[in-house]
Amino acid sequence: MQSKLTDSELIEQTLAGNQAAYADLVKRHQRFVFTLALRFAKTREDAEEIAQDCFIKAYRSLASFQGGSKFSTWLYSIVYTTAMTFLRKKRVDTDSIDDEATYIQLQNRTDGYDVNDAENRSRSYYLNQAIAQLLPDDATIITLFYQGEQSLDEIGQTLGIEPNTVKVKLFRARQRLKEKLERNLKHEVKELI
Amino acid sequence: MNIEEKLWNYIDGACTPEEQQAISRLIEQDEVYRRKYQELLQLNQEFAGIELDEPPMAFTYNVMETIRAEHAQNPLKAAIDKRIIRGISIFFGFTISVLLIIALSSIHWSAMGSAGPAFKFTMPNIAQYFTGNFMKGFMFFDVVLALFLFDGYLRKKTATKAQISVQSGRQQTEHHD
Repeated sequence: MQSKLTDSELIEQTLAGNQAAYADLVKRHQRFVFTLALRFAKTREDAEEIAQDCFIKAYRSLASFQGGSKFSTWLYSIVYTTAMTFLRKKRVDTDSIDDEATYIQLQNRTDGYDVNDAENRSRSYYLNQAIAQLLPDDATIITLFYQGEQSLDEIGQTLGIEPNTVKVKLFRARQRLKEKLERNLKHEVKELI
Repeated sequence: MNIEEKLWNYIDGACTPEEQQAISRLIEQDEVYRRKYQELLQLNQEFAGIELDEPPMAFTYNVMETIRAEHAQNPLKAAIDKRIIRGISIFFGFTISVLLIIALSSIHWSAMGSAGPAFKFTMPNIAQYFTGNFMKGFMFFDVVLALFLFDGYLRKKTATKAQISVQSGRQQTEHHD
């Protein structure tokens, strides 16, 4: 059962030494943080590592959280920087992730859904497939806006860009998501015929 | 700005009241706008309906365990209360000062210049201080100190419990409301 205390109250208790309060904060935000991490990492294991790292970093610097913005906005900015660092490190580790490799990775990820018959696949399945094919930045903006219910200003704070730039990026991300969704659906219709 | 961009701004509520009015008029009157608007509105609902992924069951436990492990790895110097360190240093400082005063006071300064050693130490007979009464007094002081510290610990524990019960009471009240 999750705590009914607000984020600020839980932070106060955590800073007073109550670790159980921080566990409540983790429970409250873990689904979103994990989803956001999954937009960057292409495997659940990597996403779990990123999400875990974010919560530990947030705990370490909790005292520096001023409360000027929402805790979630502050936390998501940690997720974004941690995930970007993770991607950069991953690129160095693997020497280079060229388009072909990324494509194969995406294919592998989406292929995991092929356990169901094509007829049983819902539109939400194709949507998830399409979002997994987007670039991390596009997928992040879509996730922050729709699932995180963040305003353009808050997304700007999280990503460190101007709200107007967020507006343009959100428009482009939605366009690309729409195109991918349509392409996937067309491909599926062809397969059925 | 193309039709789609205008309509997305309209759906997000990210345009001025004048633009908002102009676009709603276009949606009412123009078939192209109306169709595009319906299409984007449906997409908007679908995007909003994307479900969040569920992390593994032990996620919170793993995070908290890592935090606990980090705390346990703190160097002893950082983990110990600084007041204890200060208390120990004051005790040793005081003891050394007392011993120095006793030693200096036992020097026969008048013997300076005469043959033999310049001064002679007469070591204080410490054993004479460890009498039965001294030991009783020492033990009494220790017991009083232990009781005092234990009382402080119990008070702190009771205060924490009271704080937790007040919070849970507040939660229950909110729940009933």
